[in-house]
Amino acid sequence: MKKRGERVFCALLVVSLCVSGMFAGGTKEAPVKQQEIPKVDASKYEVTKPIEITWWHALENQYSDLVDEIVNDFNNSQDKIKVKAEYIGNYATVNETLVAAQVAGTGLPALVVANTPYVAQYGASGLCEDLNPYIQATGFDINDFGEGMIKASAYEGKQVSLPFLISTQIMYYNKDMAKAKGIEIPTKFKDMNEFLSKVTEFNADGSTKVWGTIVPGWDQWYFETFFLNNGVNIINPDGISTDFGGKASIETTKEIGDWIKKGYAYFAVGKDGSSIMRQTFIDQKAFSVIHTSSLYNTYVNLCKNFEVGMAWLPATDTKKQEIGGCVLLIPAKNDQQTKNAAWQFLSYLCSKEVNMKWAEGTGYMPTRKSVLETQEGKDFLAKKPAFKAIFDNLDNIYPRIQNKNWNQLAKIWMNYLSEFYNNGKDIDTGIPQMTEEINEVLED
Amino acid sequence: MTKKGIKPRTLDHLQDFGCTIPALILILMFTYFPILKLIQISFTNWNLLNDHYDYVGLKNWKWLFTGSGRKYLVNSLKVTFLYSAGELTITLFGGLVLALIFNTMHKGFSALRAIVFMPKYVAMSSAAVIFLWILNTDNGVLNYFITRLGGRRVDWLGQSSTAMISILMLTGWRAIGYGMIVYLAAIRSIPKDYYEAADLDGASYWTKLRGITLPMLSPTTLFLFVTTFISSMKVFQSVDVMTGGGPNRSTEVFVYQIYSYAMEDFRMDRASVMALAFFILLLVITASTMKLSNGRVNYDT
Amino acid sequence: MLTEERTITERNERAIRNRRAISVLQWVLAIAVTVVAFFPIYWMLITSVKSQEEVLLLQPTFWPKEFHFENYANVMHKVKFAKYYVNTVIMTAGILVCQIITGVFAAYGFSKGQFKGKNALFMVVLGALMIPLQVTFIPIYVMFAHWHLTDTYLGLILPEAVSPYYIFMLRQTFMSIDDSYIDAARIDGVGKVGIITRILVPMCRSTLFTVTLVTFTSGWNSYFWPKIIAKEESHRVLTVGLAKLRDTFAGQGTMNNHEIMAGAVMAILPVVILFFVFQKYMLSGYSKAAMK
Repeated sequence: MKKRGERVFCALLVVSLCVSGMFAGGTKEAPVKQQEIPKVDASKYEVTKPIEITWWHALENQYSDLVDEIVNDFNNSQDKIKVKAEYIGNYATVNETLVAAQVAGTGLPALVVANTPYVAQYGASGLCEDLNPYIQATGFDINDFGEGMIKASAYEGKQVSLPFLISTQIMYYNKDMAKAKGIEIPTKFKDMNEFLSKVTEFNADGSTKVWGTIVPGWDQWYFETFFLNNGVNIINPDGISTDFGGKASIETTKEIGDWIKKGYAYFAVGKDGSSIMRQTFIDQKAFSVIHTSSLYNTYVNLCKNFEVGMAWLPATDTKKQEIGGCVLLIPAKNDQQTKNAAWQFLSYLCSKEVNMKWAEGTGYMPTRKSVLETQEGKDFLAKKPAFKAIFDNLDNIYPRIQNKNWNQLAKIWMNYLSEFYNNGKDIDTGIPQMTEEINEVLED
Repeated sequence: MTKKGIKPRTLDHLQDFGCTIPALILILMFTYFPILKLIQISFTNWNLLNDHYDYVGLKNWKWLFTGSGRKYLVNSLKVTFLYSAGELTITLFGGLVLALIFNTMHKGFSALRAIVFMPKYVAMSSAAVIFLWILNTDNGVLNYFITRLGGRRVDWLGQSSTAMISILMLTGWRAIGYGMIVYLAAIRSIPKDYYEAADLDGASYWTKLRGITLPMLSPTTLFLFVTTFISSMKVFQSVDVMTGGGPNRSTEVFVYQIYSYAMEDFRMDRASVMALAFFILLLVITASTMKLSNGRVNYDT
Repeated sequence: MLTEERTITERNERAIRNRRAISVLQWVLAIAVTVVAFFPIYWMLITSVKSQEEVLLLQPTFWPKEFHFENYANVMHKVKFAKYYVNTVIMTAGILVCQIITGVFAAYGFSKGQFKGKNALFMVVLGALMIPLQVTFIPIYVMFAHWHLTDTYLGLILPEAVSPYYIFMLRQTFMSIDDSYIDAARIDGVGKVGIITRILVPMCRSTLFTVTLVTFTSGWNSYFWPKIIAKEESHRVLTVGLAKLRDTFAGQGTMNNHEIMAGAVMAILPVVILFFVFQKYMLSGYSKAAMK
């Protein structure tokens, strides 16, 4: 505890030295459009008075000890800023709460997490502070982040947020079962059907005993990549229409439906869909599940009777996956002192040290090139060999689709799929209806 | 006290009027004015995410009644009425049966009665949290009982077919005691001599129930019907905590839908038309049930 | 008794046997119903003191193996239940005070008062009964956001500051009081406020108390509006806090149902205690409303 505290303190000391201008205009920073930004007066971004700030997050109970530790370390490392961490709800709730606070113009937090698809919406509405001047003033090394991550957290050249906890979709599978059956997870989407037919086990009455896989239906993020890799433009380049009515979309929808119809897979919905899915996997009643890589440690801790493997989701010629998790941003409506303090805390949260704590203690990914591409990364892999699936595919992790009506689109999409898969609605008649509704929403 | 030019009588009346002013202002501000505002918003394309909004005429109304919104309107009507039917059955039928069971002056009964009535005072949202645990698929105690009786575990909240039943279980737990208490009070007020006369004729329990108790309870039944019907239309808490309207919109009741358009999607325009449609629906139901009760039952007893 | 017994006929004997059978049946059914009705509360209580391992047993235990009262401390540590308590008390008290003041005065005006348009205005009050917050919350929310009333106590209280139901019930009661009391007081030089506070209110105190209890519980239990207007922890109330606590565990993490139930006990307990203390009034509160 003490040692860790010291390390953080050192990191903080460096940051605060940066603030005081010693390294201003420093060595490596080269943010986007650097030339256009006039020389930043670093003193403008100093924290001069003691201040208390609030940080909104979406980190559920299993992360709460780590959150407490990190916040306490920060609070104890300096005496000006006191951070209060507040759990707001899941990402959707954080979005609702943040937008509501923005509209009211009061009660905005100093710092807030945002799920990756919200960056454009917030960037466009001017909700978030442009972080470039802060990065300049304090010499924050932004180039150490993976390029995709930087892109995913920027909007029209402005660095409106920074990557905080990054994850991607992943297929968890029961390694012991795979060994026993001598089966490997397919890399192609079209091979899924055959693969599932081999791993699914049925009861005498024809009901499923062991599911081949479980597809989460409570968040479209999990099945989104199947569509993307099959060439579906969820939002067309024009930004106001969707390609869901197209052939690729219909075929992909039907293919997943086929797994479900045959009893190989089920589409998990409902308030407790995720915990039921998790429990099914733990009880060895599912060969694999599709979930977020951030839950790796949770799965490993809960699956005591078998080894948990991770595989890249089966795809096509492209192996696209998307950045999940959250970025950190500072609401622009706050006063300068609060923003300065928030930036200090933000740069601490996004620092390599804190990032590695998350990477080690949970399933969130290391975000730094200086980890991913060096010996440190190899050491990390030695500790968590399952992450090889992700490290091998870092180039295939893309930013999320950005659209301000994304939320509404996702809701309509999920509801239709749930009707197709769980209520037997006809896909051919349903897809045109869904397309029409989504187009309506996008046009608004 | 008398001021120049104002008669004491007028002043007196003004004071009486003044007593009602705070209440009236608040009611006008938070009940009537919002209705006007709703009508105004319903003609705009107001999305809270945008800085400004324009008037778009009947676009939202068309969306709701002839466009893609119609399907959701119909769905939420269906879901809401299904819920209402469930709550009415439980409150009226269940409440009556319990009232008959508990209809004894014995002291022990009154303690039991209190326990049955108590859930009414537990917040719906908190009770929903308890029921989520009881209905839990893997570790829930209800599924444990079911498997002990030879049944299979039910994913209560994950399937469209059982989600509404789950919500009605919670409703039933809270509402049945209320129905019972109201019926009990009514049964107590039935004059004893009716029963004594029937006893002299040697009437059986069922004859007395059919011939005396039930007919005498009809005003109470009607009262319960009207109030429960209207309050059940406004269901929100249990749905919000237990299912979030899902799965598959199978529990997306009217208020939940308005709420999610307004507070999740920030589509004030669509939410406003929905809210107005809901308001009209409430008015129609209230008016028709009032008419029904005035026509058939005399309240001045 | 003896003489009566000698005169009973066969038929009456059978009737008594029947009655006894029915009364045994009544007891059995009543106890069964009570057990079922009480079970959720019992289950909440015992789950709240179990250990996590015990909660996750596939074969649930109906009495905790060990008592883990630290679950309560853990929940208090994880979420600010104490703060939620304070917020709930302030909101409920605010609603109560506002409703009593606006209600008592308006009820006086509409019952004993005399002014032009009295009945028409009373219809305005009654009409409000038909327009619930579930219809009007959108404009009110937008208005309050504009006035910076989100996440404030005032924002929580204002839309509930007047209750047409309260006015209606009190008006009925005030009307039943004979005018002679008021006339007598007036002759003694008692003013309007004095008539209300020193004559009408004391004379109707039992109704007032009952209606106030109903108002209290509905305020304490309210969820819809607090959820909309007070999204932040600083003004979060118990009902919303408890639902949120559940989300913390249910989202993607582990289910800590023992701690969720400990939270539920804390959220529910005050009302349950209140109920058993004032049982008599609580029961009559609803039947009175029903009789009207």
